[in-house]
Amino acid sequence: MRHDFFDRFSRLDSSIHHLPSSLKLLFSFGIIFTTVIVPVYYQWVFFVFFTILILVSFMSKIPWRFIGGRILFLEPFALGIAVLSLFQHNGFAIFLSILIKSTLCLFTIILFSNTTPFSEILVIFRRIGIPALLITILALTYRYLFVLIDEAVRLRRARDSRMFVIRRSRIWLSLTSLMGQLFIRSTERSERIYTAMISRGWK
Amino acid sequence: MIPAIQVTKLSFNYPDGKEALRDISFFVSSGECVGLVGPNGSGKSTLLLHLNGILPDTFDGSSSVEINGKVITRNTVNKIRRDVGLMFQDPDDQLFCPTVFEDIAFGPRQFGLSEKEIRLRVERSLAQTGLSGFENRFPYHLSNGEKRRVCLAGVLACEPLVLALDEPTSYLDPRGKRNLHQILKALPVTKIIATHDLEMVVELCSRTIVLDEGRVVADGPTRELLGNEELMLRHGLEKPHILRHLHPH
Amino acid sequence: MHIPDGFLDAKTAIATGVFSIAGLGTALRHARQHLQSREIPLVGLTAAFIFVAQMLNFPVAGGTSGHLIGATLAMVLLGPSVAIIVMSSVLIIQASIFADGGLLALGANIFNMAIVAPVSGYVVYKTMRILLRDTRGQLISASVASWCTTVIASVFCAGELAWSGTAPWNIVFPAMAGIHAVIGVGEGLITMLVLSAIVKTRPELLTNTSIRSNRNENKSTLIYGIVIILGLILLIVPFASRLPDGLDRVAQSLGFESKKVANHGFSTPLKGYNFFGIESNALSTIAAGMSGAGLVFAISFLLAGVLIPRKKNADNSPYST
Repeated sequence: MRHDFFDRFSRLDSSIHHLPSSLKLLFSFGIIFTTVIVPVYYQWVFFVFFTILILVSFMSKIPWRFIGGRILFLEPFALGIAVLSLFQHNGFAIFLSILIKSTLCLFTIILFSNTTPFSEILVIFRRIGIPALLITILALTYRYLFVLIDEAVRLRRARDSRMFVIRRSRIWLSLTSLMGQLFIRSTERSERIYTAMISRGWK
Repeated sequence: MIPAIQVTKLSFNYPDGKEALRDISFFVSSGECVGLVGPNGSGKSTLLLHLNGILPDTFDGSSSVEINGKVITRNTVNKIRRDVGLMFQDPDDQLFCPTVFEDIAFGPRQFGLSEKEIRLRVERSLAQTGLSGFENRFPYHLSNGEKRRVCLAGVLACEPLVLALDEPTSYLDPRGKRNLHQILKALPVTKIIATHDLEMVVELCSRTIVLDEGRVVADGPTRELLGNEELMLRHGLEKPHILRHLHPH
Repeated sequence: MHIPDGFLDAKTAIATGVFSIAGLGTALRHARQHLQSREIPLVGLTAAFIFVAQMLNFPVAGGTSGHLIGATLAMVLLGPSVAIIVMSSVLIIQASIFADGGLLALGANIFNMAIVAPVSGYVVYKTMRILLRDTRGQLISASVASWCTTVIASVFCAGELAWSGTAPWNIVFPAMAGIHAVIGVGEGLITMLVLSAIVKTRPELLTNTSIRSNRNENKSTLIYGIVIILGLILLIVPFASRLPDGLDRVAQSLGFESKKVANHGFSTPLKGYNFFGIESNALSTIAAGMSGAGLVFAISFLLAGVLIPRKKNADNSPYST
């Protein structure tokens, strides 16, 4: 699995967590945008940002190991694409610049996402005028994401206890069959959710 | 006195033709607490879905259900959904908002109440269910008992006249069950509870209806019905332990 | 294919952001007009489903594993407009909670995986369905469409990286397209297997959903097509060699000359992209693409024959679990 899905740090009790979400979003966006625009010659800018982010992560009480782990985990994907930049004039400089910039941006997003509950992000979306339909769907997606993950784990466990031959082809068949089951259950669950919604007056 | 719930000769077939409910008639007085028991597949859930007009799918004019004297029709169904608070078996199905506050506020918001009134109702419901301070919690992180209580709070926020509960104590541990029993006992509203938890029925419900294969097979005082071992066994139930150990009055 | 922040420059991020807003906005408008309230929870849950599906590891070889993107799967299940909404939701949540894909790059990621992918999949799928009408044909079309969208989306991704100056086109295009031509086989296979699993249990989900094809999506699809073509013109055409003279002049007048200076050797044709001795680069690219599609078609055809037996004897399937 690629993600740590418990979203467990976004509701900690720290000074950073208590800051208004729109402020955090603007700040993160500002850092990312500036990082992308500023040419890599102005190294001091990145240094300043980096220091700020370290400070913020310290104040946010999020475990170091978690932040470090997330960065290390997502870094290879960035590296893989970054490698392609080497094959051009001035390639190594571009490669380094990309690496620095993307790591900085990654650090920013990790801090932002782990100090802001998604429900507050949705509030910001509503305020900036994102259509209500999309917000409803985002809310539902977020709400049932973890429920579906649990369901998938349960289905897989039930399957694994009956699977004695671990052949690659069997795994593909087993996984896709599981996905099919998961989708069907999701359609059934969505009916029940609709029933619950109209029971409380939704139209 | 107009009964809170009046069901007259209700019959219902599933889309595949299978009979779910046959000729069901009963009434529930205002303030009464009625237990609805029966084996799996007896039609308990289906019956509850008729009480707020979710079933049948279409209104062909003749409804067998009256809530507070009002027949369920296309015109009255919206109001009736406010009056009948239906709580479903799986809390994950009806806790569909990203935070507890939003979920409880969902009902009142549909009615167009002011933000201030909504906040008041949410706080009141949270207090009633012992969940004050839970406003910003994410449902996924709650325990089963807490989720169940949030669902109840969400229904209570609509200030219904009738509470219709489908297996409210399923998935709960003994402490969770006791908790819920106490909360429900304290609510003065009319209640009809479909459940396998016969101990709860004895504790909360003065009257019980036994359903089997879509029919009402018994309707009477709880202790009399549930104490009738032969009746219980005949319909896939059993005499609750709490009645085995009580001395007859 | 999630592009992190720091790989796209400001102009690319903004341009793709605009395209995404246009595409997503159209999809939302279409949904508002045609989606019933009953179907809205399904859209949310499908997005959650695709998210989970993307997490699953499909072992490939020697410890590596592949993952599903799911754009075509979502399209077959719910139609292109809803698929756009579904995939966008997945990407937004991945970026804002899991740092998977950048915030600034969200526009590009949505454009590639949530607009280009489902819409191009829709076009391929519908075209093939004209000839292949039965259930087996549905699986085959979905499979081939999945392969196509994987490759096409990766080409747009390459264009974005090249336009940002991150990597030169003549490296990133063959790398992305090549790798995703292989990844796409997995995508096609997985899509087909999942659909077949659904068809076996609840076939009506693939034929009767009112969300899907019964509704007229042509007008919206036209808009999506326009947005994608604009993206094509901005991101890919300037790099593809041998532009017809007219288009070349248009490109110059729009100011793409500056790119010639920045990307050394940009204006020369793709080097060494030779396919079975076909000299012309454009033709050889097309030929390579079609061979890939043909190969995936052949595999899908054989597999479909096994998954959906000719007789209505589903019990005979060796894959019933």
